[in-house]
Amino acid sequence: MKIIAPVLLLTILSGLSVSTIAHSPEMHKKANAEKPKCEGMHNMDHGNMDMNDPVMMAMMKQCESTTDDHHDEKHNKKDKKDKHSDDHGDHDMKKNHG
Amino acid sequence: MIIIKTMALLLLLAVVGGVGFIYSGIYPVGADNKHNALTFWVLETLRTKFIARASKNIAVPPLTDPQLLLSGGADYNDMCAGCHLAPGQTENDMTLGLYPSPPNLTVAADKHDHDHGEGSHDDPNVIARQQYWVIKHGIMASGMAAFGPTHDDDRIWAMVAFLQKLPELTPQQYQIITARQ
Repeated sequence: MKIIAPVLLLTILSGLSVSTIAHSPEMHKKANAEKPKCEGMHNMDHGNMDMNDPVMMAMMKQCESTTDDHHDEKHNKKDKKDKHSDDHGDHDMKKNHG
Repeated sequence: MIIIKTMALLLLLAVVGGVGFIYSGIYPVGADNKHNALTFWVLETLRTKFIARASKNIAVPPLTDPQLLLSGGADYNDMCAGCHLAPGQTENDMTLGLYPSPPNLTVAADKHDHDHGEGSHDDPNVIARQQYWVIKHGIMASGMAAFGPTHDDDRIWAMVAFLQKLPELTPQQYQIITARQ
C-alpha cells in the first residue's frame, strides 16, 4: 500500500504531462513569414471557379483578409484624391470670387 | 539423437556467426549505399505489411473542411516539405541524400514509388489511414519522425487532409494555402 499510492500518483502525473506536450501552431510562426500572394486571385474570373472545392474555399479564406486590406488601401487612396480635388475646388472658388 | 545434436550445433554456429558478423562492422550503413535486393525486400515488406495492418481499423473523419487544408498545409510546409517536396520541385538535398528516399508527396500515391498494400488503389481511405499512422508514429531507422508526441490527432488529420489535395495544387495555390497568417 505504501508503494502503490506514490506509483499511482506518479502514473497520473505522467499521463497529465504527456497530454500537454503537444505544442501549439504558434510555435511554428516565424517573424518574417511569407504572406499569401493573393494578387492572382483578385484578378481571377470567379464565375469559372468551383466555389465548393475545398482548395478554392481555403484560398478564398486565406485571401479574405488581404482582400480587405486591398480594398481599404484603394478607398484610402480614393478618399485622399477626392479631398485633394475638393481642396483645389475651394481654392479656385476663392480665387474667382476674390 | 545425432540429428538433434547436429541441428543444435548448426544453430549455435549460426548464432555465433551472426553475432560475429554484427560486431565485425563489415555491413555498410552509409545512406549513400543501397541495401542488397534481399535486405531491401525484407525491410520494404515488413514496413508495408505492418503499416497496412496497424492502420486497418483507424476511422477516417471527414477531410473536406477548408480549415483543415489551411492548418495542415501550414504544418506541411514547415515540417514536411523539406523532405517530401512542394509543387514544382522534383528533388532536393534530402531526397537525394536520405536512404530510403522520402516519397515525393506532390505526386499521387500510386505514382511515388511507394507500395501501400492491398486495397489502396480502390479505397482512398486506405491511403488516408496509412498517412495518419505514419505521421503519428513515424518509421524507425528511416528519417521519418513520429509527430504524435508533439501534435494532437486533430492536427495530424489536418495534415492528412492536406496530403489528399497536395498532388493537384499548383505552386501558386500551394503558396497561398500554406502561408501561416
